[in-house]
Amino acid sequence: MTGSHIPDALANRLATATPPKLAARVRGLSDKAIAWLFITPTMILLLAINIFPLIWTIRLSFTNFRANRTNAVVKGIGLDNYTSILTDPDIWAAMQSTAHFVFWTITLQTLIGFTLAYLLDRKFRGHGFWTTIILIPMMLSPAVVGNFWRFLYQPQIGLFNYIISFFTGVDPSSFEMIGSVTLAPWSIIIVDTWMWTPYVMLICLAGLRSIPDYIYEAAEVDRASTWRQFWSITIPMALPFIMLAVLFRGIENFKMFDMVNLLTSGGPGSTTEVASITLKREAFEKWRTGFSSAFAIILFVTVFGLANIYVKALNQVKSR
Amino acid sequence: MSARSSTAHSVVEPSSTSKLVASVLVVVYALVTMIPLFWIVVTSLKSPPDSISYPPKIVFTPTIEGYCNLFTNQTRQTPEFLATLPPATTACEKVTRERNMVIVGPSNFTKRFFNSLVIAFGSTALSVFLGTIAAYGFSRFKVPLKDDLLFFILSTRMMPPIAVAIPIYLMYRELGLSDTKIGMILLYTAVNVSLAVWLLKGFIDEIPREYEEAAMIDGYTRLQAFRKVVLPQATTGIVATAIFCMIFAWNEYAFAVLLTSGDAQPAPPFIPTIIGEGGMDWPAVGAGTSLFLIPILVFTILLRKHLLRGITFGAVRK
Amino acid sequence: MTDMSQKSLMARIFCRGPWETAATAFIGAGVIMLMQPFALALYTWSFLTTLTGVVMFVIVSKFPE
Repeated sequence: MTGSHIPDALANRLATATPPKLAARVRGLSDKAIAWLFITPTMILLLAINIFPLIWTIRLSFTNFRANRTNAVVKGIGLDNYTSILTDPDIWAAMQSTAHFVFWTITLQTLIGFTLAYLLDRKFRGHGFWTTIILIPMMLSPAVVGNFWRFLYQPQIGLFNYIISFFTGVDPSSFEMIGSVTLAPWSIIIVDTWMWTPYVMLICLAGLRSIPDYIYEAAEVDRASTWRQFWSITIPMALPFIMLAVLFRGIENFKMFDMVNLLTSGGPGSTTEVASITLKREAFEKWRTGFSSAFAIILFVTVFGLANIYVKALNQVKSR
Repeated sequence: MSARSSTAHSVVEPSSTSKLVASVLVVVYALVTMIPLFWIVVTSLKSPPDSISYPPKIVFTPTIEGYCNLFTNQTRQTPEFLATLPPATTACEKVTRERNMVIVGPSNFTKRFFNSLVIAFGSTALSVFLGTIAAYGFSRFKVPLKDDLLFFILSTRMMPPIAVAIPIYLMYRELGLSDTKIGMILLYTAVNVSLAVWLLKGFIDEIPREYEEAAMIDGYTRLQAFRKVVLPQATTGIVATAIFCMIFAWNEYAFAVLLTSGDAQPAPPFIPTIIGEGGMDWPAVGAGTSLFLIPILVFTILLRKHLLRGITFGAVRK
Repeated sequence: MTDMSQKSLMARIFCRGPWETAATAFIGAGVIMLMQPFALALYTWSFLTTLTGVVMFVIVSKFPE
């Protein structure tokens, strides 16, 4: 009864002396009651703020409800919203913009992130410090940072254009990152890569460090070349971690909203209109609530499916 | 992972050349990646004409004008009118007078910043509290459908914010919660609690059960054992989780921009709307951005040991 | 002997591994169909494919390892 700190030795001694059915004899609330008492509040909150709205969305998705015309008669229109979304070439185009964004951000982030992790794993002096520095961008607010990148991308005065022209000799006012149809999709890819490469790097680093030394030592004894070690030990062993990072970035970028909304808000035209931006336009600008609810459900089911795969990958990594 | 560093001259120790090459490349990447941040801070200290000059100025006379514009509203006045005013007392007044402007009152930035603080702290406290007890429940007791519940909790965090925002918008409108701090705190708590449960479950799983069982032999009840044995042991985990929740709530934009417009609006949707005379007032935006990012820099440094755990929902422990 | 083989047959049919892989494949295919730029018809059927995968995943997670 000395208070909060129980010496390990004492704890171990007591633990071995503890009868297995100890819990049943404890005074006060039963364990079962405590378990429910502890878990229920979280569940209620999630039911109220996530599940109830979700069910509401599902219901709305079968109607022609518009949130800015609450007095209009709400009609059930069956699966019409779903069929019109799934045959709409504009929304299909938005999904392709999303695909372009997701594909290139993941490719670049995985390549750069893995390379950085591989370099940091050399354990040179000060690698801890530089890791922390590199990690900073991913902790920042995507919205606030996206907004500031708009300044860096200014055609005449922006630092980005200046640096590009400094190294390539191209006139800095001859290209616009945000304003041009061909470059705008790349402008959001660059910012996302800048922000989230550290994320991939950190997970890859954990993957590289999870490879036990003796495997490399054995390969060394077998005189396997560094190149061969890399492809037959490093990559396969780090792969579950890489997959984890890729899946999570994939899910996050599939639903990307904040950074894109502030940087290009879908423009010019609809070249950078990724799925979430389309959804926002339909729901909060055109106020087609029923229609956008159906779209939200489509996106949600997709994310939910990917989340299932993600948790599978998570468990794979956990068992390592 | 520590095995490799322990054998200083093992066969797998990287050679000094490869170390040198690696360090050079990493340092170059780190410096390049810092340019945008460096530029934000530099811009915040420039005068508006300096900020949009070409070529971009590295050498300039620093001024607090950006910060003044961020915190105050100003109007243009004639020099004759300015001459009638008593001499400027504060540094900010001096700077604005030079541009033939007078300060007419504080801007909304302070309020938005304060909103951010209230919402971030409120939702963090709530989600860490809920997360700690739920994590203890999941960690120590047999809960039916445990894995399903845990997956359900995690999947709520994966939901696209805009998809959730539609019904939340309608629900909050009905309940009178739209544009209130309470509404935002509840919403952010719901998003954060999933992370809190997963992270804290990992931390609490690491505390040996024997500690509580020993305490209970000494006559503690389960609740007392939780409070006096488990909580002190889990302090590091709770603090790390709190910082993660705080960072999320602090940075969040999608819900904030769709569900708040005035009273409860936090800083992220506000900063992009800062406009000066004739276009964006980039020094003021830079100033707002710098002030907004500084807490995160501090937190990142405090958190660096637990970062990996946080971004993988506790699955990867260093 | 027959009892044993039947049990293993049941266990083989309701084993989680392959089903989970199939569900994952469905979800993956659905996601790719949703975002591919080649055929509108594939896009149209993507949602049902993903939904099938998700439902399958939820059911399959109840199967024994």
